[in-house]
Amino acid sequence: MAYYFGSKRSRWTPYLLLLPGIFFYVLIALGPSIATSVYSFTNATGLKGAQIDWIGLDNYKEFLFMGQAAKDNFAALGRTLIFCFFVTTIQFGLGLLVAVIINQNLKGRNIFRTLYFMPVILGAVIQGLIWSLFLFPLGGPMARILELFGAQSEFLGGQPAEAFAWVIVIQIWANMGTTMIIFLSGLQTIGAEMYEAARIDGASSWQVFANVTWPLLTPSVNTNLTLNIIGSLQAWQLFLVLLGYRNGTQVLGYLIYAVGFGQTSGSVTSSFRQGYAAAASIILFLLVLVIGLGVNYILKRREERIMG
Amino acid sequence: MSTMTKSVRNKKPVNWGRIGSYLILIIFAIIYLGPLLVLVNTSLKTMPSFMKDATGLARELHFQNFVEAWTKANFPKYLFNSLIYTVSATTIYIITAVFVSFPIARNYVKFSGPLLTLFVIALFLPPALIPQFQLILNLGLYNNPIGYIMLFIVNPIGIVILVNYIKSVPKELDEAAALDGCGYFRFVWSIVIPLIKPAIATVVVLHAIGIWNEIIAPTIYLTSEKYYPITRGLIVFQGVYGSNWPNLAAAVLMLTLPMLILFLFLQRYIISGLTSGSVKG
Repeated sequence: MAYYFGSKRSRWTPYLLLLPGIFFYVLIALGPSIATSVYSFTNATGLKGAQIDWIGLDNYKEFLFMGQAAKDNFAALGRTLIFCFFVTTIQFGLGLLVAVIINQNLKGRNIFRTLYFMPVILGAVIQGLIWSLFLFPLGGPMARILELFGAQSEFLGGQPAEAFAWVIVIQIWANMGTTMIIFLSGLQTIGAEMYEAARIDGASSWQVFANVTWPLLTPSVNTNLTLNIIGSLQAWQLFLVLLGYRNGTQVLGYLIYAVGFGQTSGSVTSSFRQGYAAAASIILFLLVLVIGLGVNYILKRREERIMG
Repeated sequence: MSTMTKSVRNKKPVNWGRIGSYLILIIFAIIYLGPLLVLVNTSLKTMPSFMKDATGLARELHFQNFVEAWTKANFPKYLFNSLIYTVSATTIYIITAVFVSFPIARNYVKFSGPLLTLFVIALFLPPALIPQFQLILNLGLYNNPIGYIMLFIVNPIGIVILVNYIKSVPKELDEAAALDGCGYFRFVWSIVIPLIKPAIATVVVLHAIGIWNEIIAPTIYLTSEKYYPITRGLIVFQGVYGSNWPNLAAAVLMLTLPMLILFLFLQRYIISGLTSGSVKG
């Protein structure tokens, strides 16, 4: 590639200016990312300058096989999968439904779109606090709604399973807008003439959706499924804000944070179990990788079948 | 759901598809607006009236809540911290990112392709959480604003967005500018940057929102209250005054409203970031 700027010596300018960005990236993101697997074989703590010993597979053995802790870990792993499944399927379904409706020529569609998309800017803390108020158990709005049906609930402070379910609801509330936007941008690439042709052939609305919209929406379907699955396997901010580290509700991401940064053993950095947390991160990473690759494979095959 | 778009002009039949569509949109609108309206309502109630009836309409318009929330917590300090973190990290990031993206997009450095791959690869690697902490700790930057800012001066997705956008800027421009004696730095700084403003805006908005809303990193890295950003400050406020919902609601509302107004202006940048960032496949 031709380079136009100045003499031979100044040929180095682009390299020089590129360096800070690369340096920061390797130092802060890429390097640590790779180092996670190294730390997972050590007994590192959060104590500055402390000696770090190589302990082989001990962290993994402890995580997977050691008594009650291992049971708790598998329970958290199970909850992570449950969370991922419900968040992905419901958010996908609702996002698609709303996108298809908004894509029609309806009055006020931009207002609705903006409204559903709005929570993305608020962040987990504000999202969580807004919903904590909405779910205030002593006569709060949701409690009043339940009263109409003669029911009552502690919501976030109630049974772990119920609190967990509410986090799923709030997670979907917060992120459905993103799914909707990606579907909408996909829908807009489908030309009006495609719909016209189908209608001239006398297709019903459902047939138009099944035979025109759905197959042509494949790229957005793939993007949304991949983003939602990977995102929800790793998401735990709302658990932190809404529930805290509560037994029976933790997902893997939160568990890693808790053991690595002393939520389970006190807040002195020397009690941080960072090697163990690194091993747990690798296990979560492998889970995301296996599920991600599996889903990707299925989606690719489906795409080939549809697109020919 | 039988006739979705076309209505016959003469007969004007009831368009059930359209009615159903609006019905669904309105139900969702209530789900999205409801919690916000409850927040507004609660922020205007007195504590006794909240205790008596948490949901009932606020009749007393107790604006005092906002004053109390503002003075009880150190919100100006938290807001100032958040602003410093967000602005400084985003500024450093975007400047370094432009100088990484431009030569890669133009092939002005050797190994441009592998370099770009190097950035994309981070999206498929294990989380950096633990070693990152060890790094900051051993640099002596734990519980230090500089260490905290450092965490946010990288973002590989932004690089991908910038590279893609720069590729749409015609190369003839480089040649013409160089012929006029324009140097590399000046060209990127005063010609390329203005030309790729839309992409820069998108990346800046996405990156800044991420920092502003971050809650995990401040919980891990900042232990002194004087360094807390607004997210952590809100959690502290909730911990102390959490039982006083009218006060807490006022605090949350004061921080939510500016974000919502900002959202109306920034929405298109967020959308373009989402749709361009997600094509990565």
